[in-house]
Amino acid sequence: MPQFRWVDRLHIKFSLPLLILLPLLSSCTRERRLEYGLSLADTLRINIITEPPTLDWNRSTDTTSSLIQDNIMEGLIQYDLQDPDFKLLPALATEWSSNSDFTKWTFTLREGVKWNDGVEFKAQQVVDGWERLLNPKTASEYAYFLYSIKNARAYNEGSIKDFSEVGVRVDAEGRLVVELDQPKSYFPMLLTHSSTFPIRKDVIEKHGDRWTDPENIVTLGAYDLKIWDHDRAIVLERNENYYGDKAKIKNILAYMVNETSTALNLFDSGRLDSLHQLPSRELGHLKRRKEYRETGIMATYYFGFNTERPPMDDVRVRRAIVHGVDRKQVTDMLQGGQIPISNWIPPGMLGYEADVGLNFDVAEANRLLDEAGFKDRSTFPTLTLSFNTMEDHRRVAENIQAQLRRNLGISVELLNEEWKVYLRSLSTNPSHIYRLGWLADYPDPDNFMGIMTSFSDQNYTRWKNSRFDELIQQAVAEGDPAKRRVLYREAQRILTEEGAAVLPLYAQVNHLLVADRVQNYPVNRLARFIFRDVELK
Amino acid sequence: MKLVSRLKENWKFLMGWGLLLGSLSLVVMSFFALPIPRALWWLTGSLAAVGFAHYTFSQNLVVYVIKRILEAVFVIFVIASMTFLLLRVIPGGPFDTEKALPPEVIANIAAKYNLDAPLHRQYSDYMLGLLRGDLGESYKFLGRNVAQIVGEALPVSLQLGVYSLILAFMIGIPAGLFAASRHNSFADNATMILAISGVALPSFLIAPILIIVFAFWLNWFEVALWLGPEYYILPVVVLGTSPAAIIARLTRSSVLEVIRSDYIRTAKAKGLSHQVVLYKHVLKNSLIPVLTFSGPLVAGVLSGSFVVEQIFAIPGLGRHMVQSVTNRDYPLILGTTLVFSVMLVLANLVVDILYAYFDPRIKLS
Amino acid sequence: MSGMRSQEISAAMLVADGNKQQLGQGKSSQSLWAEGWRRYKKNRMAVISTYFVIFVSLVAIFAPWIAPYSFDEQHMDRILQSPSWTHWLGTDALGRDMLSRLIYGARMSMAVGVITALISLFIGTIYGCISGWMGGRVDSVMMRVVDILYSIPTLVLLILVKVIFDSVNLFTNPELRALTGILLALSVVGWVTLARVVRGQVMQVKEMAYVEAARALGSHSFAIVWRHVFPNILGPIIVLLTFQIPLNILFESFLSFIGLGLQPPFSSWGVMADDGWRSLRSFPHLMIAPGVAIFLTMLAFNLLGDGLRDAFDPQMRGR
Repeated sequence: MPQFRWVDRLHIKFSLPLLILLPLLSSCTRERRLEYGLSLADTLRINIITEPPTLDWNRSTDTTSSLIQDNIMEGLIQYDLQDPDFKLLPALATEWSSNSDFTKWTFTLREGVKWNDGVEFKAQQVVDGWERLLNPKTASEYAYFLYSIKNARAYNEGSIKDFSEVGVRVDAEGRLVVELDQPKSYFPMLLTHSSTFPIRKDVIEKHGDRWTDPENIVTLGAYDLKIWDHDRAIVLERNENYYGDKAKIKNILAYMVNETSTALNLFDSGRLDSLHQLPSRELGHLKRRKEYRETGIMATYYFGFNTERPPMDDVRVRRAIVHGVDRKQVTDMLQGGQIPISNWIPPGMLGYEADVGLNFDVAEANRLLDEAGFKDRSTFPTLTLSFNTMEDHRRVAENIQAQLRRNLGISVELLNEEWKVYLRSLSTNPSHIYRLGWLADYPDPDNFMGIMTSFSDQNYTRWKNSRFDELIQQAVAEGDPAKRRVLYREAQRILTEEGAAVLPLYAQVNHLLVADRVQNYPVNRLARFIFRDVELK
Repeated sequence: MKLVSRLKENWKFLMGWGLLLGSLSLVVMSFFALPIPRALWWLTGSLAAVGFAHYTFSQNLVVYVIKRILEAVFVIFVIASMTFLLLRVIPGGPFDTEKALPPEVIANIAAKYNLDAPLHRQYSDYMLGLLRGDLGESYKFLGRNVAQIVGEALPVSLQLGVYSLILAFMIGIPAGLFAASRHNSFADNATMILAISGVALPSFLIAPILIIVFAFWLNWFEVALWLGPEYYILPVVVLGTSPAAIIARLTRSSVLEVIRSDYIRTAKAKGLSHQVVLYKHVLKNSLIPVLTFSGPLVAGVLSGSFVVEQIFAIPGLGRHMVQSVTNRDYPLILGTTLVFSVMLVLANLVVDILYAYFDPRIKLS
Repeated sequence: MSGMRSQEISAAMLVADGNKQQLGQGKSSQSLWAEGWRRYKKNRMAVISTYFVIFVSLVAIFAPWIAPYSFDEQHMDRILQSPSWTHWLGTDALGRDMLSRLIYGARMSMAVGVITALISLFIGTIYGCISGWMGGRVDSVMMRVVDILYSIPTLVLLILVKVIFDSVNLFTNPELRALTGILLALSVVGWVTLARVVRGQVMQVKEMAYVEAARALGSHSFAIVWRHVFPNILGPIIVLLTFQIPLNILFESFLSFIGLGLQPPFSSWGVMADDGWRSLRSFPHLMIAPGVAIFLTMLAFNLLGDGLRDAFDPQMRGR
């Protein structure tokens, strides 16, 4: 149809200018100026992955929120993040002491500290914060942090209505006095966590839920919350009136990019100064880069067994499964330097015992299975192994499935559930084997061991052992690290060998990329990112 | 006086151009992230409103339009109800956490979000809220209400969607015409295979390729984020590919059909020049089916935006739509769903009316 | 996918356009089929595509016999290897052979494509036939339901339905069980367009002289629809089917993208593509293999559909 050749011209008319325009356009608008009027030279650009659900430190539960909170606020006590044992350093409290059985603690508070609206910091603001954290109306998930305080649990559960009955008060000298109803040798450690930070009741009452907006929020940390551009970025600015050493970098620009590969692209094109999460599959490549940093963190990755669902109710079967998994193979596959562990407490924490727990032993595993009455493996029921939707979990699960089939000749079916569905099934009827992980809230072994007690809210194994519970309670009341270690060793032996209620897989590792121009980037086992001391070249 | 009378004669013409120029400058200015004067919004908006009103009245479409709007309200109502119910059926609740909370705390949360009320009560409360224009508070993002979240994300998604559609039409229609003009030639086949290719790859496979080529190798555009023209182009191209391909195929088939039709033959037989036949008859008539298709196209672009928003870290509505389901953030799921539905319904309404405008044979009633 | 629903509808529009005139012909349907078939065979692209589709189907059916390895056989010493002689397409992050996963993936992807298309076709045809044949009030109510389903964002519907159906366990066969959620979710979304097209076709056929005649003779409605209406709309339905299958394959990959794909360890092209796109810069082989597979299959199905439509559309004759 030659008479329609005119469209060719039309086509060219449309497309030519477009083709010329595109590159031109990109070259003329390209500048190295940052958003929000920030300058590159004194701005640290990080990725916090998601929008923080809230910056209200009494109510937030996620790592993104606490990253921001750790930089804009401060607690009574802080860790020395450089120290391998995380020695406690004074922050808003200058001194603290307890009675001999760790049931009464006294904190002397720093004087002359001012919030960024000029109001002075007082002990009552700490009490206000704790009252709000424990108040059932606040509905905070972290209320249990203070449960060791006298009557705190009862107040949180609503059986006591009057907060004055809870064991915390300000004495005549303005010191904070705390009474516990169970001894806790590590109580000060809890006060490094953002949920226990002081609050400004007047500000919260005035602005309600919106008190965390940049124009309302009042803080006293090294940085101020300057801009919160929802779903896009958060900008922090140095607090010039900070009581301690002022932050080295003027601004922090935190983007919210939740796709790791996209974040890596941004880093590689010079748009980000650091990455806290790397695409796990590419670790093998990324490891060779000079920007790469790696640190073991106090977090474990484990599989729990539903000890009430046959055949998992037979301890021999559970032991056989633990014996049948080569953890080394899993960590080799992940290529991220994870450390295989057979005990419950991760390395770097008191109570880590490399020789406790059942190790990889195919012969023993098969013997146990035979003994449990499954000589004929075809009579062994198909187990379900569930995990929540995520690429890494899927890979680990697929590997475990293959290992169990190869080593024990049993078949495992994988069940991949979306997080909320997963939580629901965990609390109602967990699969034979389920995946979970635990990241330390504070570097004390009790934080790990407490999970598996019979009265824990997170023990989905339904495994109960009174001796274990007893040991845990004894250990909390013990001040001598050497004695505690002995107690935890025995408890872990009960949990991982005798009862075999869990299959600890490995201690997790944080992988980071930090740009060359950044110095002193916080890389620590607690995965806490405090940017006060970071410098830019 | 003369000017006034001339204006009077040509006001429709002027208004049409005004509207066109207005919306065009809006698009261009927003693309280059220039500050848009409020007056321009008002001017374009009122031109559109006046034009629409005039058209409605002059064509006796008032009843039709009102009927359609009522229908739309009904559809939105049903969708809100359906989604509301579906949300209660899906396993997992908004406040399920890894650590079991004390019953008192759970009761308090339930009371705060009205989740302790009987279902019908929750439903009627939500619906009454909707009538007042209240979409509720997000469960996940404390202190932010859904209207605010949607209000911040929608403009971004709209920008992305509108640019992609414009790109799709700019590429699709000429490509379709080109293919049709050389029907059954090599060029035709090649164009059509290219067009099919446009829909043959998931956009999450196209995007990384484009990023590597245009952002890393050529260094023309940015790899992600949504801050200016150099950020817009890649996501817009990715999102626009499949609509462009669809439009190209539709244009081709409808041009072929029009060319074959009797009235074009008659026009040619009457000795009208090619140019006249082409521009006046073929082009206009063959674009009508393409136009009707823009309704579903809007829907497609909207639902596709999630992938693009995810890969390019664009703070749009698609991301909220998926993540709110993951969080079981009921009010936010409902809010985003309703906003999307309203846009779909509106797009269909506008398309139907435009359809009648361009094709006088269609009678709306 | 960008344009999920819009692609469905465009396919529907292309089909509907093509078949408008066919129905007007007075010829018997038999000669029409024969003639169409003859024309189809002349379309080189379509014929090549047909062979390709047959090839993929055979690969899918005989996957266990063709694949050099099993889809879940892990080689921990050979993680993320580039293509080599032992692994033609390389290995993935668990040391599984990509070629084998691709071959088994054909099986799952085709199953999703075909089964979903058939389910939605079944629902859509029945719904459309009832709506179109009854007409009047029934029709307008039924079409209103379709309108409403159209106005719900596909994405939300797909996710919600998938999450709900994932907890349904209908089968004991692990492969089928892994598929159920996807099949049901995609069918719920997919039948709507089909219902609309079928209804349109039925409305047209209903007015035909012979149908009128049958009706006048007092035949039972069901019999008329089955004997006279259905054979007449079979053409467009088949064409639509060929457009629906690749779309479902695409949707499946989209579900994988949002993390709601097939249960592991089974592989489908969507699962593999989702696995691959994130690391295109480091391990291109992870994305290229499934990408090419999806691309060629989509292309083939579309060309096949185009060919069928052109062949059975008399208007296209001689052009």
